[in-house]
Amino acid sequence: MDADAFIQTEGLTRVYSSGPVQVTALRDVTLSVERGSFVGVTGASGSGKSTLMNLLGGLDTPSAGRLSVGGRRISDLDHDELALFRRTTVGMIFQSFNLVGSHTALENVALPLLFAGVAKKERLRRAGELLGTVGLEGRAGHRPSELSGGEQQRVAIARALVNRPQILLADEPTGNLDSRTSRQIVESLVELRRARSLTVVMISHEQTLLREFADEVIRLKDGAVTQRERLR
Amino acid sequence: MRISDYIEQACGNLWKKKLRTFLTTCGVIIGVGALVCMFAFGQGVQRNIKDQFEEMDLLNYINVSPKNGARRDPSERDPDAPRAHDEPSEPAGDASPRVEMLDDDFIDEVMQIDGVEAAFPETRFPAQIRLGEREQFTLVQVVTARACGSELVQLRAGQPYTSDEPNEAMISDSLLRRLGNKKPETAVGQEVEIRTIRLDFSLASLMRMAFGRGDQRLPISSKRYPFKIVGVIERMGFGGAMPIRSDAFIPPGAAGRMRKLVLTGISDLFQPAEKMAGYSTVTVRVASPRLVADVKAKLDERGLRTFALMDQLDEMKKGFVIMDMFLLAVGMIGMTVASLGIVNTMVMSILERYREIGIMKAVGATDADVQKIFLFESGVIGFMGGVFGLALGWLVSIIINVVVNGLSAREGVPHIHYFSFPWWLCLGAVAFSVLVSLIAGIFPTIRAAAVDPVVALRHD
Repeated sequence: MDADAFIQTEGLTRVYSSGPVQVTALRDVTLSVERGSFVGVTGASGSGKSTLMNLLGGLDTPSAGRLSVGGRRISDLDHDELALFRRTTVGMIFQSFNLVGSHTALENVALPLLFAGVAKKERLRRAGELLGTVGLEGRAGHRPSELSGGEQQRVAIARALVNRPQILLADEPTGNLDSRTSRQIVESLVELRRARSLTVVMISHEQTLLREFADEVIRLKDGAVTQRERLR
Repeated sequence: MRISDYIEQACGNLWKKKLRTFLTTCGVIIGVGALVCMFAFGQGVQRNIKDQFEEMDLLNYINVSPKNGARRDPSERDPDAPRAHDEPSEPAGDASPRVEMLDDDFIDEVMQIDGVEAAFPETRFPAQIRLGEREQFTLVQVVTARACGSELVQLRAGQPYTSDEPNEAMISDSLLRRLGNKKPETAVGQEVEIRTIRLDFSLASLMRMAFGRGDQRLPISSKRYPFKIVGVIERMGFGGAMPIRSDAFIPPGAAGRMRKLVLTGISDLFQPAEKMAGYSTVTVRVASPRLVADVKAKLDERGLRTFALMDQLDEMKKGFVIMDMFLLAVGMIGMTVASLGIVNTMVMSILERYREIGIMKAVGATDADVQKIFLFESGVIGFMGGVFGLALGWLVSIIINVVVNGLSAREGVPHIHYFSFPWWLCLGAVAFSVLVSLIAGIFPTIRAAAVDPVVALRHD
């Protein structure tokens, strides 16, 4: 175990059952991520990247093994404690943006604050401020369908950051974007990481972007870590 | 999440699906409307009956009479008196109360009971009443001026007598008609003659008994007394244990000066001597219907038979409860259908917002948060359905009132409010609607709370 690590996994395993069939999506993953680092996770489709991301984000619970964040054992938390963990510690960005279609950009960004019990006025103020940070101050009243892919992802980034998390998990955030927009999004993440002392874990197929911006790249294959490459 | 946020979220989400929300709410509105209408009708019937009782001031009265077959306290029997061999012996432990004589002493004692305002005997005697050339037989009732001035007496013309002494009388409009006068106003101030019968054991009477024929063989003679009509009252529409039930009333002072035979029927002659010794009935008026039970209990303890319309009202209330239950059961059919509509709407809403539920959970919503969001949506549907359903029920009741009263007015029936909307019914209807909606929402919301965020986020 690495005493300096912020995120630590030990023998992390996730097995999905579908009737008599059992699929091991993640197999005995042990890794550690330092606070404030930018870690890239890559691998082929079905290699277990999203499963790892879901476990790190507290959306899913491991079948075996341990996961700790900031010294706290996340793998032992119950439903409500995991919800609190997601609300206070983690911000997540998805390939398909996962914005609520009937909400405006501002409402989407403010959504996590709703569950944190923040007053409406304060919610909208903070959401508006973050939209400005990601360059969308003029698009606050627009619904996702009225925004481009890049804009939607920036709304998603703003939403992920509105609760001032310590970890930003990005699951292929550039998967639906063109290369220019992809670069802008990753640059934004790097900038925000620096400005907010975030620990970023980003899944991506784009080796070029990872090699350019990540401190470390982890390669997964068939649910297991096959390579760890420290770049900086 | 704050309560205000739940409400805002619920209203916002329902507003986004206006048509579906409208249709679902319509189901609740109709259900609540039907339920409210039924209940309001039941309440209206109860209120009308109770009001009628109260209007006639009948709930404050207790009729007191000796118990049939009651005997004098065995302790009063002379212990030395020989017992007839065929007289049944007293059963052991017989605790029959002694017969209480309803006389003036009894009335004085009753007046000392807390809450008793008045007590007067029901004294009626047979008499012929003559107005002009016409004469009618009736039972004249002796009633105090105080009782005559109460709501028991509904005046058609004139005033009740104000003193217990003068030779003043009040007669009913029906007796007045039988006496040939159809205009009560013209009767006030006129003189009537009340002819009583009395036992007569004078020499002349005895001679008639010895040598007369037919009715002349009875020791009875009659005497005429002039009375002034001071008021004409409405004939009571029904009988029963009414404190006032006659066609002619005179004050006790005037009655005391009359020679008369106090019999209301031949059956009175068969009453035991001890019963014949006092009044047959004493009417007790208490200050409030709430005191009736206490006063009645005290009179019951004395071994008397008591009757109060308040008791009848209590019996009727039991009947009303059954009627309310029946109406509730009928009304619940609508609410059951409406609640199924809510279940359907909520299930559909959850299916449509499956991915949204995943997003909410991903950004930190707990299972309880998700459950409450949908439960509040159910509750808002129930609240709107309750409020508008109440309005619908009220509107329908107005229409029915107008139509029925319009039709019955042709028959001379007075205007009646057939429906009653007490505050608890209004609040209860809305609360019940919300409750039913929340219950209907429980199953869908449990499903919503159980959504796996990982699966939901992949859901297209």
